[in-house]
Amino acid sequence: MLTLLRLSMRQLGGKRRVALILLLSILPIALAVVVSIAEGEDESFDSDFINILLDGLMVGGILPIVTMAVATAAFGNELEDQTLSYIVLKPIPRWHIALPKLLASIIIAGPLIIASGAIAAWIGMGADPRISAAVGLALFVGVTTYSSIFSWAGLMTTRALAFAIVYVFLWEGLISSFINGVDYLSVRGYTLAIMHGIDKDGLGELSERVIEFPAAVGGAVAVSVVFFYLTVRRLRNMDVP
Amino acid sequence: MTTQSNGVIDVADVSKWYGSVVAVNEVSFQVNPGITALLGPNGAGKTTMLHLIAGLAKCSDGQITTLGEPVRNNPSLYQRVGFMPEHESVYGFYTGRQLVEFSAKLYGLSPLGEAVDRAIQIVGMEDAQNRTMDGYSRGMRQRMRLAAAIVHDPQVMILDEPLNGTDPRQRIEFQEVMERLASQGRTILISSHILEEVETMAGRILLMVSGKLAASGDFRAIRAKLDEQAYQVRIVVDEPRRMASAIVALDDVDSVSFDDDGSIVVLSRKVATIQTTLPRMAQENGIRLTRMEPIDESLESLFEYIVER
Repeated sequence: MLTLLRLSMRQLGGKRRVALILLLSILPIALAVVVSIAEGEDESFDSDFINILLDGLMVGGILPIVTMAVATAAFGNELEDQTLSYIVLKPIPRWHIALPKLLASIIIAGPLIIASGAIAAWIGMGADPRISAAVGLALFVGVTTYSSIFSWAGLMTTRALAFAIVYVFLWEGLISSFINGVDYLSVRGYTLAIMHGIDKDGLGELSERVIEFPAAVGGAVAVSVVFFYLTVRRLRNMDVP
Repeated sequence: MTTQSNGVIDVADVSKWYGSVVAVNEVSFQVNPGITALLGPNGAGKTTMLHLIAGLAKCSDGQITTLGEPVRNNPSLYQRVGFMPEHESVYGFYTGRQLVEFSAKLYGLSPLGEAVDRAIQIVGMEDAQNRTMDGYSRGMRQRMRLAAAIVHDPQVMILDEPLNGTDPRQRIEFQEVMERLASQGRTILISSHILEEVETMAGRILLMVSGKLAASGDFRAIRAKLDEQAYQVRIVVDEPRRMASAIVALDDVDSVSFDDDGSIVVLSRKVATIQTTLPRMAQENGIRLTRMEPIDESLESLFEYIVER
């Protein structure tokens, strides 16, 4: 499995992709610095910081964009280059192929996003290590869950990126904002709920609109496992070009 | 699950369709130890057939077994089978040696060194093994891909157009390698759309045309059938009428006609004889021969001929 993990990381860790991740990861930190300097005595600062920067920009924007850019390519590149046959005709079970692809997506996309969110929270939320840890852990769950979904999408269609954009914009962005209950089936909802669940005091602003912590953890695990299973099943059933 | 099988590779009533397009239509054959060539023009369904045999694609109908086992989703079988796809895409950032090592690791070989060295030696790439795949010529890339496909010393080899991009010297070397492996009891199935590429090494051929198996069997018997076909050769000379009169007198010529551009079209069942006789005849008659080319030597026309019979 290590052989495939190394291969996948090399495939996904291209300079342009890493540069994009780096650029997007710097953005929340830079904004956190700017707004902290401009904060003054504004009492609504924490609330605005959580709503706009953590929820809107980080969880609603950068997290899905970066993971879709990485995870859809995990299998997408292999299909596009027609190199998947080099892997699937080896004497290894299908989940030994799917797991390294998923792990590589998480390893490439995760650290910079997690560090970015944790550092931005540290700067913007009064250097509270608990808040930073909550943001970092929640983003890790978000990266893992999105990676599982988008890896599967990359195997299902050559237009995985388009699918991912529509899914993130419509389901995670639009529909989950307007319809109650959708948060139970939303990675954004899981991420915010886990963030809030780890530090209810520091991130109290989220308490009115997040689902229960156990439901979020269970949902994220279930979605990750289900899409991982679907990826393995797709690998078994598909015609490999 | 193990099913009863007669050949090393057993293809039974296999069809494959994509929507309304039938790529392979009720094909049955067996492949036994030795070299078997799967021939057919481009678009005949050869690659689809090999993908089905390798287990990359699922049969719409029928079944395929290799070494008595089903080929789809059967990782333990893949330990005994080597597959080289037609498309040349590889992980370009790997060196040739790294590609073979990568393959060896996935086959679970240990230690790697000896097997990798042997595979690279077989394809004669020892000197260039540390260059990146992107830096190879087409022929070198083919040879390294072949090394990666056979590094685990498989019992069955399925090679899709392995001679693409190779030069004549490499083809001879490749032929020697395949013959040596076949003489050790391996089963080798090679596809090609060029008859001459495989005629000297394959003992048995399978001919596919339009998704169907048009003919199969001993190479010489099928070649003899092919030789019965009349070929057309176009020649361009400075005195066509005088040349045509001389050609008509030849025993091996079926007919002679003129094209609109003044060139002569000769129909003959003994094209090899014709190709040596005509230049000599032109020289003896003081006629200047500027061009001589076969018109329909394509494999398609040969295959169509066989199918029509």
